[in-house]
Amino acid sequence: MSQNRVAITGMGIMSSIGNSVEENLHALLNNKKGIAPIVNIETRHKNEIKVGEILQTNEELSKMLNLPEEHNYSRTALLGCIAAKQAVKQANIRDIEAFKTGLISSTSVGGMDLTEKHFQNYNAESRRLINSHHAVDSTEKIAELLGITDFTSTTSTACSSAANAIMLGARLIKSGQLDRVIVGGTDGLAKFTINGFKTLMILSDTDCTPFDANRKGLNLGEAAAYLVLESDAVVKQENKTVLGYLAGYGNANDAFHQTASSENGEGAFLAMTKALKIAEIKPEDVNYINAHGTATPNNDLSEGKAMKRIYGDFVPDFSSTKAFTGHTLAAAGAIEAVYSVLALQNNVMFPNLNFKTAIPELDLIPVTKVTKKSLNYVLSNSFGFGGNCSTLIFSKN
Amino acid sequence: MSKKLNILSYCKIKDDKISLNGKVIYQDHSNDLKSFFKNCYKNLGIEYSKFFKMDNLSKLGFLASEILFKDLNLDSSIKGNVGIVLSNKSASLDTDRKYQETINDKDNYFPSPAVFVYTLANIMIGEISIRHQIKGENAFFVSEKFNETLLEQYASSLIQNEKSSHVLCGWVDVDNDKYDAFMYLVTEEESQNYSKEIIKKLYKEN
Repeated sequence: MSQNRVAITGMGIMSSIGNSVEENLHALLNNKKGIAPIVNIETRHKNEIKVGEILQTNEELSKMLNLPEEHNYSRTALLGCIAAKQAVKQANIRDIEAFKTGLISSTSVGGMDLTEKHFQNYNAESRRLINSHHAVDSTEKIAELLGITDFTSTTSTACSSAANAIMLGARLIKSGQLDRVIVGGTDGLAKFTINGFKTLMILSDTDCTPFDANRKGLNLGEAAAYLVLESDAVVKQENKTVLGYLAGYGNANDAFHQTASSENGEGAFLAMTKALKIAEIKPEDVNYINAHGTATPNNDLSEGKAMKRIYGDFVPDFSSTKAFTGHTLAAAGAIEAVYSVLALQNNVMFPNLNFKTAIPELDLIPVTKVTKKSLNYVLSNSFGFGGNCSTLIFSKN
Repeated sequence: MSKKLNILSYCKIKDDKISLNGKVIYQDHSNDLKSFFKNCYKNLGIEYSKFFKMDNLSKLGFLASEILFKDLNLDSSIKGNVGIVLSNKSASLDTDRKYQETINDKDNYFPSPAVFVYTLANIMIGEISIRHQIKGENAFFVSEKFNETLLEQYASSLIQNEKSSHVLCGWVDVDNDKYDAFMYLVTEEESQNYSKEIIKKLYKEN
């Protein structure tokens, strides 16, 4: 067993299937999906798309944080603050300054929701709101809320952002730069994202169907999730309850195309291979894969091929939880990290909803029902545009 | 023990001239960047049709890397793990402006995804990686001035920590019709000949 393990001691999450870790677990175990027609955003595409939306308005979220009325928190920052606060609470951190603590937060959309509402009418008031546009703004607000001053960083690598934030945090702990780090990601829904993905023609007009032969594309979602990572020393000194460990991680690029993933899943294959190597385990030690599985034709085929390249005809049980939450972009790797830890804690695999027919080129059938099984290692994939592919491996012990 | 590093080869593209290890290998008198790049492509005998889809920044970086890789003829197993550390001062502004022109006017609105993808400077690293199937570590930095300290430290760290055996480093900047490329490949060798002073000297020499 390698030295300097990275323990997970707290988790927090806001998603379309629940406003806490417990609510998310309950929804996952009871097939309660968050995908529905859009409510909070006025868009001309509302009849053609379904989304994983958090139903609270920005005003309601602001109240949860007791913010003064005149704030400039974007939806991304609001969700991030709430989820990060939950994580720190579960980790039972009373004095954030007792150890060298960092925050690594990811976002792709930043404060775009405020910008798109206010930029047409530019004045002093809108300027104040648009000032929260940049990606670092949400990180700074979370750091301020939690009182983190030692280290902050923001990652934005599209859909692998949160996985990369988690990976960076783990490396900082392993190298002894930090004792403790809060890692994760946040992305609120915005017209910008909806229109962007609409233009790419990869939005489904129905509930998305990951790994299905007839998949039509993804549902977008919004979410935020954070994990508290702590070093062995802190865990020992504080006698912490450990929820699970981050055993391995890997990031690789495809060298294939500016936006698309390669057909043979090269980047995904490399990311999984690297993560297995860091975790010092054999591929067959993985009991369950929480797949990226966005339900786009490109991703699921590419990811499936990569899994087959590693496992041949013996791909472990796998499922994508995107049909519950939608694709939450820069939060995806973080909410799925929470789900992976929940899977380990409860020895349960979550269903890949809406699956009917296997993709002929793959012949892979995901887990479609809540399934109990003893789990020691869970592998989670997150792949971003441009072939930025990341894999995390979580372990029970 | 720390590894001894050495620059294997370096290339410069500036003022209508291409030089390799200090010797001019191509020169012409084109009036604009587009024809200069096209002439370089032809004269250097490159065959890679995707070149013509690239923006000026990617073309410039691509040409410099092409010359270095041709000169060094590395084994594909080494190439696959090359680290890439590039930098400039104008990021992708040259293409950002061109893209902005396509969306300025509601009545003459013609944005193109093919242009949009180049509104990120590190796409240049992507283009070089795709061409040579490079899957090593990479980073792109934007700074006011050529920063030899950053290049020296970053590349050394990648090699000392055995992340990459070879690192492609440099400065590739395009802004309107001004351009400046300096690229080198550094690796472990028997004697040390790599420092920020050396990098700066090579960058400054004519």
